[in-house]
Parts: sequence; structure tokens; C-alpha cells
Amino acid sequence: MMLRVRFHGRGGQGAKTASRILGDAAFNDGFNDQDFPIYGAERRGAPVAAFTRFSDGDITERGFIFSPDIVGVMDDSLIEDPLANPFAGLRKGGCAVVNTTKPSGTLLPDRKDAKIITIDLTGMALKMLGKPILSSGIAAAVARVAGVSEGSFLKAVADELREVGLSEEMVKKNVEFAMAVYGELAPLTLRTEELPSKLELVPLAVVVSGEGMEDVTQTGNSAVRHTGNWRTYRPVIDYRRCTDCMICYAYCPESAMSVGEDGRVRIDYENCKGCMICLTECPLKAISQSGERGLQ
Amino acid sequence: MATATRFRTLKDMPSDEYLTPGNTMCAGCGGILAVRIFHKVLGPNVTWVNAAGCMTIAVSYPLSPLKSNWIYTAFASAPAGAQGVRDALDVLMAKGKLPASEDMKVVVVTGDGAAYDIGFQSAAGAIDRRLDFYYLCYDNEAYGNTGFQMSSSTPFGSASKTTPPTAANPIGNTHRKMDLFEVWRAQNAPYVATLSNSHGVDFLKKVEKGGTIRGPKMYIDFAACPTGWGFDPKDSIELEKLAVQTGIWPLKESVDGVVRHTVVPRSLLPVKEYLTKQERFAHLFEPTERTEAIRTIQESVNSYWAVAGAKEGFAVKAAEVT
Repeated sequence: MMLRVRFHGRGGQGAKTASRILGDAAFNDGFNDQDFPIYGAERRGAPVAAFTRFSDGDITERGFIFSPDIVGVMDDSLIEDPLANPFAGLRKGGCAVVNTTKPSGTLLPDRKDAKIITIDLTGMALKMLGKPILSSGIAAAVARVAGVSEGSFLKAVADELREVGLSEEMVKKNVEFAMAVYGELAPLTLRTEELPSKLELVPLAVVVSGEGMEDVTQTGNSAVRHTGNWRTYRPVIDYRRCTDCMICYAYCPESAMSVGEDGRVRIDYENCKGCMICLTECPLKAISQSGERGLQ
Repeated sequence: MATATRFRTLKDMPSDEYLTPGNTMCAGCGGILAVRIFHKVLGPNVTWVNAAGCMTIAVSYPLSPLKSNWIYTAFASAPAGAQGVRDALDVLMAKGKLPASEDMKVVVVTGDGAAYDIGFQSAAGAIDRRLDFYYLCYDNEAYGNTGFQMSSSTPFGSASKTTPPTAANPIGNTHRKMDLFEVWRAQNAPYVATLSNSHGVDFLKKVEKGGTIRGPKMYIDFAACPTGWGFDPKDSIELEKLAVQTGIWPLKESVDGVVRHTVVPRSLLPVKEYLTKQERFAHLFEPTERTEAIRTIQESVNSYWAVAGAKEGFAVKAAEVT
């Protein structure tokens, strides 16, 4: 019997480490395992994915997991992101573990056959680790649902995090965080089957070079990427205190600030990644931060 | 030496934007900020020539954050690519096939990996041929795109993927950062400058000045890297500021070989204030303080400013060596 898990996160949240922790934990329980990320041009904040397979027999499959039994979604903004598409190929009867504060019924309304488990990992991580890093949390949630034993799992958390160079203090905090998540959930019995594959033909339009596909041949078209969903916090300008000194505007690495006709700075929330340089540099402290997606 | 400038305060930063939102760099990236500010001074008619590095990902089909042109070359070859673009523009204009109003500025943009190591021979050739181009190196002091491996720009004492602190070698990188500024100057490049995004007016003025000079122009921008250096993205500009205030990153320019420091700190802040804010130097302080390594860094900064001050006639108060 083999279980296939796919993690979806944003660069820096710990999807790759989560896949390693889960693989290591299953190995400690006596399973064979494989774990690996998609290697490529990941950036902090950009959608990333990582995979874990474990089995009581030999694992002869290789490559990406297109039809997972479980998906771990570390950021609910990925659900809307066509580049991530985290529920793609999720098997009938499979399970999605989603880090969110939204009610589970709203996340995947057209998949009655799949079990959706929601948990506010970001909130817990901020409280227990002081930062929104979710590797041990999402690994704990998936390991619990998959029925990995607690001892094997906690050993894997400590081993893997030491290996990536975390301090003993952070390892300890992560183990506590992982235990808390593990304790919140219960194991599931999953009977999964592959989705019937439908071969969809995508008709390609004939495009005359230089005429069609304006949005692709245009320069400066990156705003359609909407990097605003990379954000954990958003900067908010208090216009009563702002004196239009333009320091925030000058130092915005995203060009996500612009100056309106009234001479005031505007923030493009569709694309601001929430680096918060503007908040640090504002000499009048006229910029504050506000949590996204229900965060305080 | 005083030349007229249109840049007096940050408010003079041109409001024209040639970098559109939605690029794929990490939040708080110093490199993309350098590209944005650089572009504002150059104006719209620019062709960027890039070699492998973080910035390569910023412009990948079908989306580009640039309103200008972009050519991607092999890792070692960006200045050679720039030669081709420059020559093509010159030939077309000479034949009357391109009006002079459509001429472009040719700018090589690479990280320190290409500028200091892999593309160095190609740059040396372009300097030798007196190619009229700009070179913008966003220097984040390692191969940031592939997971922060050491380059010859990595400073002494920094951890990197390939220079981790170990029991046998507890201080990380034992090499000194290569002095690319002096290397370009030694080859008689007419203009060489260092930049820091945190000193925006100095940055703007230097790019403006380069526009009056024909030939190879090198800009080395100190580009804070939250992901590689290990700090919160909100502190990018603060770290760049600290690098200048501690004297670790001197802001200077060389015009026809004559060096002038453009920002002279009156007294240097201790390098510790800069080092302790980054995970790449954390092993110098925990679990035990590596006093000797920190002293080596402080002494080299102090002696740099003593030598520079003696040459140019300014005095900088050194920071205490502990």
C-alpha cells in the first residue's frame, strides 16, 4: 500500500522541509519513503510544491505526484492561484489538509468525495514560533491524518530541523508546535481511487506574430501575476500623518507604490508582497501593518 | 569636480516607472530595487543584457516586469552580448536605418556570480575594447539564485552553502571579498562606482554622471538579500545603511582612475552592529564569540578608511577593536 502526499506552499514557508519530515517520520515507522521538491526558480513567496511517497513495499514510481491521496495546502491564497492549483488530481476519497481560518465547506464545494480538514497553522505558528513558518505544522497535520506514530514523527521533526541548521531553541519550539498540531487532529481511514482521467484537448488559436496575444508580447506585463497574495501582512498608510516625503515610494522594490495626481502615495495591493520596507523606513511612523486572511 | 545634477533629495527621483509590479523576486530584494532606480535615471530607451542569476527569473516568458528590452545570454557572456547589441545599434544608425532618437543605452545586469567569477573574462574583454556600456552588478555576496553558494564576492566570515561553519573551520568563509572596484579601475575603465540603495541620492547622481562618460561604466550595488543573508525583508534598507555606516561598504567612484569617496562616515559604527543582524554571521557570535574573526573584520575596515583618508585628505574615526 502506498500513500502519495503533495505539499503546496509559498517559498519560505517550509514545504520542502515538510516533505522531508513526513518522509523521515514514515521511514521511522518502518516504511520505505521518497521525498523531494520541485526544483526550479522558487522565490520566497512564490508558489512551490514538494512530494512525499511512502509504502510498505518497494516504491517504483518516480517523478511528480499528479494524483495525490493527501494534499497539504500551507496557504489558502494558493487555492485561487492557477499556477499552484493545489487540489488538481486529488484522488476520489482523498483528503486535503488546508491551513486557513475559512470554514472547510467553502474551500472545495464541487468535490463532495474528498475530505477537507482545516486548521489555522499560521495563527498557531505565530503564537508558538513567532514567525509564519509551517514546515513542522503541516507535516504534523498530514502525519496525523495519515496515521504516522507520534514518536516516529517527533523524532523526524527534531532530526530534520537540526539537519537544516536550526538552533536547539527553535527545534524545541517546532517540536512543541508540531505536537500541538498533531494533538488537534485524528487519524483518518482513506480509501482512495484515481480520478477517471479525462483527456482534454485544448484548442490552440492561430496567432499571427505581432498581432495576437497582446498581453504576452507586451513589455511590462508582470502585474497580471498578482504577487499581492504572497503577503502575510499588508502595509497601511495613515494619510493624516503622512507628509508625502516619498521615502517609502523611493525604496519600494516592487514599484507597488505610485504617486497619485493629488501627490499622495498609493499602494497597489494587487502586487505588494508585504516586505514592509516602507513601514521600517517611514520617518513619521505613518505606515502600520495589518494581517491578511484573518491574522491579527 | 562638482558637476550639475538634477538630484538633490530623494524627492527628485524620477516618477517615471519602467519596472512594473508583479516581478518574481523575493520580497525585500535589494537587486530588483537597484534595477528600478537605475532604470529611472536612464529613461525608457534601454536594452538590458543579463546573464544567469536571480534577475533572470524576473523576466521569464511570458511575463516581464520591464517596459524596456531584455536579452538573456549564457552565464559567462553578458558583456559579449552587450557588444553585439551596441554594434548592431551603431551599424543601423550609420546606415540610416535607425534614427538617433531610437538609440538605446546598453546595460549589462548580473549578480556577483557573473560579475566577479563566471563572466569576468568577458567583462575584461569589453573593458579592453572600450565598449560603451553600463554594467550594473547587484552584489548580494554569493550565488543567491541557487541556494547561496560562495562566490569570490562572499565576505570573510560569512556562512554560505559551500562555506558552512564546521568544527574544523568554525568561521565559514576564510577568503577576503574580491575588490572588483579596483580590478575595473586597474584596467582603466573610465567610470567605476559603488552604490547602496539606502543612499538613494548618491545612487541617482552616480548613474547620472555615467551618462556623461563614454566607454565601460561599472556600478557595484550593495544588494541586501533577505533570503540568503537571513534577516527580515523589512530591514533590507536598514542593513544597507548599516553597511555604509560601519564602513564595510564604502561609497565611492573612480573617474579616469581617480578615486573619490562620495559618502564619508565621520566615525565608523562597530562592524558587530552589522554582523549580528544576519544569520550568515550568526556563528561568529553563537555558541561562542569568535573574537579573532570579528577583530580581523574590524581591523580591515579600520585600515581601509585610514588608507583612503590619507590619500584623499579626510579623517574617519575608527571603531574600537575588541
